Amino acid sequence: MHRHVRRLFRTLALAALLPSAAAAAELRVSAIPDEAPTELQRKFTPLGAYLHDATGLDVKFVPVTDYAATVEGLAAGKLDLVWYGGFTFVQARRRTGNAIPLVQREEDARFHSKFIVPAGSRAKTLADLKGASFAFGSVSSTSGHLMPRYHLLQNGIDPDRDFARVAFSGAHDVTAKWVEAGKVDAGALNESVWEKLLEEKKIDPARVRVLWTTPDFHDYNWTVRGDLDPKLVEKLRAAFLALDPTKPAHKAILDLQRAKRFIPTAPENYQAIEKAARSAGLIKD
Amino acid sequence: MSAPGGGRAPRTPPFPAPRGAALLTRSPPRPFLLRWPGLLLAALLVLAWRLVGGDLGALFSNEARGALADFARGFFPPAHRPEFLAFLLRPLAETVAIAFLGLSLAAALALPLSFLAVSPEVLATRGVPPGPSRRAAYLGARAALNLMRSVPELVWALVFVRALGLGPAAGVLAIGVGYAGVLGKVFAEIFESAPRAPARALAAAGAPPLRAFAFAIVPPSSPLLLSYALYRFDCALRASAVLGLVGAGGMGTQLELSIKMLAYDEVATMVIALFVLVAGVDLLSQLARRRIRESSGLFPVGLAALRARGAVLLALGGAAAGSALLLDLPLRELLSPATLRAVGQLARASWPPDLAPAFLRELAPAVAETLAVSLLGTAIASVLGLALAWPAAQRLHAPEGGRVRGAALAAVAWIARGASNLGRTLPELLWALLLVFAVGLGPFAGALALGIHTAGVLGRLYAEALEELPLGPADALRVAGASGAAVSAFAVLPQVFPQLVAYTLYRWEVNIRASAVLGVVGAGGLGKLLYVSLNLFHHHDTLTLVAVVVALVTAVDLLSGALRRSILEGPAQSRRPAAGPVPALLDAW
Repeated sequence: MHRHVRRLFRTLALAALLPSAAAAAELRVSAIPDEAPTELQRKFTPLGAYLHDATGLDVKFVPVTDYAATVEGLAAGKLDLVWYGGFTFVQARRRTGNAIPLVQREEDARFHSKFIVPAGSRAKTLADLKGASFAFGSVSSTSGHLMPRYHLLQNGIDPDRDFARVAFSGAHDVTAKWVEAGKVDAGALNESVWEKLLEEKKIDPARVRVLWTTPDFHDYNWTVRGDLDPKLVEKLRAAFLALDPTKPAHKAILDLQRAKRFIPTAPENYQAIEKAARSAGLIKD
Repeated sequence: MSAPGGGRAPRTPPFPAPRGAALLTRSPPRPFLLRWPGLLLAALLVLAWRLVGGDLGALFSNEARGALADFARGFFPPAHRPEFLAFLLRPLAETVAIAFLGLSLAAALALPLSFLAVSPEVLATRGVPPGPSRRAAYLGARAALNLMRSVPELVWALVFVRALGLGPAAGVLAIGVGYAGVLGKVFAEIFESAPRAPARALAAAGAPPLRAFAFAIVPPSSPLLLSYALYRFDCALRASAVLGLVGAGGMGTQLELSIKMLAYDEVATMVIALFVLVAGVDLLSQLARRRIRESSGLFPVGLAALRARGAVLLALGGAAAGSALLLDLPLRELLSPATLRAVGQLARASWPPDLAPAFLRELAPAVAETLAVSLLGTAIASVLGLALAWPAAQRLHAPEGGRVRGAALAAVAWIARGASNLGRTLPELLWALLLVFAVGLGPFAGALALGIHTAGVLGRLYAEALEELPLGPADALRVAGASGAAVSAFAVLPQVFPQLVAYTLYRWEVNIRASAVLGVVGAGGLGKLLYVSLNLFHHHDTLTLVAVVVALVTAVDLLSGALRRSILEGPAQSRRPAAGPVPALLDAW
């Protein structure tokens, strides 16, 4: 009796150790979680179908809740294609040494961050924000943390010393919500998400206004891991570049990605970001 | 007649003066709060209040009331769209699976370490006095267990997420390693407090030391070991619900999202779900513990007992396999070479710790903030907890007064217990997330969050202590005509005070771990620095921060332990209510 029980238990234990069914050739895609996961999923679905047609692989979107995890995922070979911000791309490139940036949106060559305040705020310039409570996006966000911090420092404001409290909201739409509800005195977020929130009426323009817009910088790209099959890399690049706004099916994809079209990009475009990160103290060597 | 020796000798009474006379000439002792420990505590609390930026105005402001109203409105009604409820099932199941696998891993890691961590005197009874290598192993095991206990689970989760990537693997390992420290220490204490005569007898009969240990000390201890592990399961469940906040799987991710997006109806649903889950697990664990207490020990007697034992083992094995499948987590991946390599890589990247003066200067205010949050939070909790426990301890209140009064008392007790349960169910981190919206970002929200959650815990512990109080003195005073307030102040409180202080000090140890991580959600202290350093891959900073957290936690543990010993072993010997079978169950959650 005892023997049977033991045998059964051992079988079950072994069953648990068996590897799950080996995945067929799969393209694992992810994105930095700079918006709510449902939103990321919604933006990606038609693009995923398009890439499946272009490459013949099963395309799987892997949501992550953490910017740094997208970098670690690429470095550990658990992700193949990732939508990065400028700073997370720099982090990924430093971690892997060979991450390949494929394409960026046309608007990403000249990107901006917006500083927003509640409509009733008395601040008129950046300097008026001294002593306020401030919300950045995520710690690793280019448009939500790095570039706003860099420009604050350039304008003589040290966020760690001159602000009463500094918080990381984790995502651009959360920053906007917090400022609208008056939970913080000011915040910085991505201009593209800001415009989308206004268009979709998710934020009431009567309750929030823009205080300042940063000078432009490079942001966002689709990056693949460096050890991916070069033929697959070329297929992916070609697929993105072939997206044509005059074709309705393609336009739907481009609209969700908030792109006019995709253009090629190169690692050199992000050197300015790396310099800014070093000067703002976000990269320590 | 006159005394011998002539002269006027001093008149000493022929017998010693009655003690009462001597006592009457001494002034009465000052109340605790006016003696120097009480004054020191009051000064520290005022300092803590200033450090966290405490602001009663913020607490009672319109904004706070608005936020509270928003949160309460979420319960009427909670989100009940069928898609949302169906969507929640998987995170809930994941939470349970992570807790189960995590605790199993913890028990598996703790058992060998606890064998090594048994003190040398107990080892001597196995027949062979321990040699220097055995003593070294003992010290090493104790140090390892302390290290594992001193790092809060969330910090373990943050580190494992960085090493292994997002997902339940990090959560299972975090609970496994963190709880292995807790379980290992208590297991070692259980082994040490087992009766040693059987081991001595076996050793005298010629059994080798290991066998003497296995057959004489382990069997009587095993019900206690199982009982304690089960007792810890609902803590593990609550910990696992929170780990999702840092991406380690389970419900935390969705909870954080809903809170951040101010979708309070979804938050309400998830709170209710968590509540039901924890209550259910608590009930099951109580039933199981009762069965274990009544069982016949390690070796089953008779076929029926054997079949029952086999069924339980099957169920456990099935649960483990099921959890692994649900989490999509091949069990062998957990402790595989790849995992160990990833952890090793992270460790290597973190050495040496960052000791730059600029960084250390940033650390000092964060450490002070963390301490202040823990002190203030625990103090708030003890006041609130007493307020909740008083009505809930029904035995204390005079039974006469008619049915209406009795019903009113029962209703108030019920409400008080419900409030305690609500405070307890929601982990501190989630309370902090909610409170940053009410009183603003920063350590004040953290202190309040700690206060509310711990008030729920202390409310229950205090109520238990009050219920087990011998009522003789209280009844005596009441019969003599004292008012209710006088009875409470002079009969109940002084008797139960040492026990309450011991529980409060114990919770301070738990709270210092919690306050070290509250910064992850914006509530100040070391947590925020840790969150930033992990996200920016500043691994040297991370190592320094983790070391500082361990040092802080160890210091608080030692201080609290010393204070508790001096209070409990003081003159209050006879007043201590009967503890459970294991003294370490003072480690009550």
